[in-house]
Amino acid sequence: MKIPLNLTINGDTVELTVDANETLLHVLRNSASLQSVHRSCEEGECGACTVLVNNEPVNSCLVLAVSVQGASVMTAEGLVRNNEPHPIMKAFTDELGIQCGFCTPGMLMTAYALINRCEGSELTDEFIRKSLQGNLCRCTGYVNIVKAVKKAKQNKDAGYWW
Amino acid sequence: MKKREERLVMGKGQYADDLEFAGMAHLVFVGSPYAHALIRSINTDKAMTLPGVVRVITGQDMVQHTHPLPVQANFKKPGWTWRLANVHAMPHDKVRWYGEPVAAVVAEDEETARRAADLVEIVYDPLPATGNALEALTPESPRVYDDWEDNKQVHLKFDFGDPDKAFEMADQTLRVTYREGRVHGLPIEPRGCVAVYDGKNDALDIWGSFQTPFLARHNIAATMGMPEAKVKISAVDIGGAFGLKIHTWKENVVALASKLTGRPVKWMEPHRDFMATGPHQRDVFWEGDIAFKNDGTLLGLKAQVVHDLGVESTNKGIAALSIFPACSAPASMYKWIGMHIEGIGAVTNKSFYCAYRGYGKDKGLKFIESAINQVAKKLGMTPEAIRFKNFIQPDEFPFHQINNYVIDSGDYPATLNKAMEMVDMDGFRKKKADLEKQGRCLGIGVSTTIEPAGVAVPNCQMGGITQARVMITPDGSVEVHSDRTEIGQGAEISHATIAGNILGMDLAHIHVKKVTSDYIGQGPLSSRGAVYPASAVAKAAKLLRKKVVQCAAGLLMVEQSDVDMADGFVFSTKKPETRLSYRELADKVFFFPGPRGLDPEILKNHDHLLDVTATWYSPTTPDTGSSYTTFCVSADIAVVEVDVDTGVTDIVKYVHVHDAGTIINRQVIDGQIHGGIIQGIGEALYESLDYDDQSRLLSTSFSNYFIPTSIEAPDIEIAHLETPSPFSETGSKGMGEAPIIGSKAVILDAVEDALSGFGIRVNDSPASPEKVRQWILETQRKTKGED
Repeated sequence: MKIPLNLTINGDTVELTVDANETLLHVLRNSASLQSVHRSCEEGECGACTVLVNNEPVNSCLVLAVSVQGASVMTAEGLVRNNEPHPIMKAFTDELGIQCGFCTPGMLMTAYALINRCEGSELTDEFIRKSLQGNLCRCTGYVNIVKAVKKAKQNKDAGYWW
Repeated sequence: MKKREERLVMGKGQYADDLEFAGMAHLVFVGSPYAHALIRSINTDKAMTLPGVVRVITGQDMVQHTHPLPVQANFKKPGWTWRLANVHAMPHDKVRWYGEPVAAVVAEDEETARRAADLVEIVYDPLPATGNALEALTPESPRVYDDWEDNKQVHLKFDFGDPDKAFEMADQTLRVTYREGRVHGLPIEPRGCVAVYDGKNDALDIWGSFQTPFLARHNIAATMGMPEAKVKISAVDIGGAFGLKIHTWKENVVALASKLTGRPVKWMEPHRDFMATGPHQRDVFWEGDIAFKNDGTLLGLKAQVVHDLGVESTNKGIAALSIFPACSAPASMYKWIGMHIEGIGAVTNKSFYCAYRGYGKDKGLKFIESAINQVAKKLGMTPEAIRFKNFIQPDEFPFHQINNYVIDSGDYPATLNKAMEMVDMDGFRKKKADLEKQGRCLGIGVSTTIEPAGVAVPNCQMGGITQARVMITPDGSVEVHSDRTEIGQGAEISHATIAGNILGMDLAHIHVKKVTSDYIGQGPLSSRGAVYPASAVAKAAKLLRKKVVQCAAGLLMVEQSDVDMADGFVFSTKKPETRLSYRELADKVFFFPGPRGLDPEILKNHDHLLDVTATWYSPTTPDTGSSYTTFCVSADIAVVEVDVDTGVTDIVKYVHVHDAGTIINRQVIDGQIHGGIIQGIGEALYESLDYDDQSRLLSTSFSNYFIPTSIEAPDIEIAHLETPSPFSETGSKGMGEAPIIGSKAVILDAVEDALSGFGIRVNDSPASPEKVRQWILETQRKTKGED
């Protein structure tokens, strides 16, 4: 059954037609051509498909697209402005919190939500690690990712953020 | 300047799953629900009636249209066993492991293909299965290959040095055993590709997650019965590999599907299939005797290692090949009189075995580290003392080890000393004693290792020779080609740095190209990257530099000896304002090279062609047969606390000292260290592929195969030494594997130390919470029994 779906994706209002059983992951990749949303386990374990739905990080492989009717969805593409990397992306590059890059967009979305939520408060290593546990990375051992998140927080605290 | 990383963080990756071609169809495999069964029939009628289904391919199609998988390693020698199975990319008669693909559905979209896959009706006659190497080697075991007399694929026997003399000289010997469970390298991205068969030209192009495109082309062309010149393999962005994307096998089915349907065909491996079909690794049983003197001098080893290979590797013979380094590696960084080592590979009804970070050398290294720690305990020595006593010394390099490795350089005592400086050993040992009184279990582990890197082996596809091309394009930028795919290990930035340093050019103008099968070499396997391809790039860049100097001298009208280059300019060292930017130089050389600018001799010799393809091969291998060229060094010390009530191991402190020779990019090396260490911790404490009694895999997802999350991963303190290798072009050494080897060894040693109060010997990995609890309960039961 085809169902009309209205979403705001990365700030743009879009009208799509989706199958009732289609996941948000599938819609974002296939109908919206947002390829930063990576598909791996398809069962909510790896976090590679993490996007923000109304500013909350979710595994888009576990979300039925029709269940987020009218929502605002944000992906890594939405953080890029004027073809410039977002300050959180810059931090991941600077600290080399990226190796193969496959987990990175999902990791970024979780970290972005985390930093936004911790406005004005300190972000400890332990809290960063707890917050990122739903995003698996097999390359970096997380060490430089934690550094990158701290650097991104510094960027935000210094007013370098959008 | 991190061009690739900036692209990827911005979501502009181009991974296999992102590939799109006009008219593309999608392929999904149907896997066997049995580990061992005869295929009685395959009925595709129902699947074909589903709208959108294009074709179903079965094993019969493979027999009809393709050749069996080609042999990739073959070692026949009197007294050795070396068997190879005759298999196609999909079987037509019998399945031999759980998840083995028996059919492939091609449909207009992936969802339809998945639904149709469920409609393929296959009737099996289940057979008894064997899922354990030791059982598989017994006469009662079901046989995996009917035409073999038993399940022994490989039996290799090595004598290194003089093993009998070693045991004659010994004051004591000690029985040692060591077991490693089966694991999966498990990059987050499974494998995938799009095959495009061009019927007009009878040519095949495949794009995908290929770690080694040059080898992939050879194997796919052989299977498809096509000339290699008609096949091109192109690597796209790869979401991690660790060795698991070397082999080609399902890709052959995708290629055939494209040929049979006349459509581009995409296959993206579902994660569960990736778990089930692997390749898998480790799964070994070591047993042997180590000989030593009472003062701690190590003398010899007589040991046997049995590998559970699963079925014949899709890289035919390459799983078996991994037994060579497993048998050779125990000599490691210590001095010995002799070793006798036998390596056995048994086939079982499990998925096949292939490369994963370490490949085989890791097994011998971890075993010997564990054995040496047992000897130290027996003699009442510390683990560091026994190592200092037996290390090869800094003035003994290059050192011809008994296993025939020519070890390039290093300072082993300094490496371990540095690690000990970073950990308060006495303080932690005192703390351990104090906590013991409170019933708490702190443990300190010590491990040192070298990493044989940059493989070149005869009689197999890992022959070594490597090619790289560095050219200056007419706009004055640089293009670099090699066999070294970027799998997240920093290939692109390392190549760019090497070429940029030699040519005096900013990284912004250096473009490291994606790897295709056009350039010869085995790609980044066995930590070859910093050895072979990096050396080939450096060599090509140096030759190119000579050409630039010749051309610039003519154009600037200065002596060649006065020409230098930096920051994108080629200039006279006597008059730095007399200079050309690379753009100006390239423009003149490519388009206006007339005799008035350049010396006619340059033109006659074509030295104005600013394009160099160079090859590189190890300087030590030809004369000595050393199958590796560089040997990086590492020392790991870990402090852990084991919770007796839950069996959970908490890592309190972790330090790692590394000597990978000349450092090309510190951040990249640190990243390799972090990642490798965490993977090793995963293997040591959590990761295990488990099977039921019918050899069916139970660990089929991240929810029951536990790779470390950010919570389990500790902080890691790193220090570097830099002892250049005299044998690589840049002085750097391959280093991607040492961290996973040292970390697994050191964590298991630390857990054993933590459990010393119980007298538990940790010689089985993973030391998962369940297993630790079991060990503790067994010990307590025994103690009670004794009381």
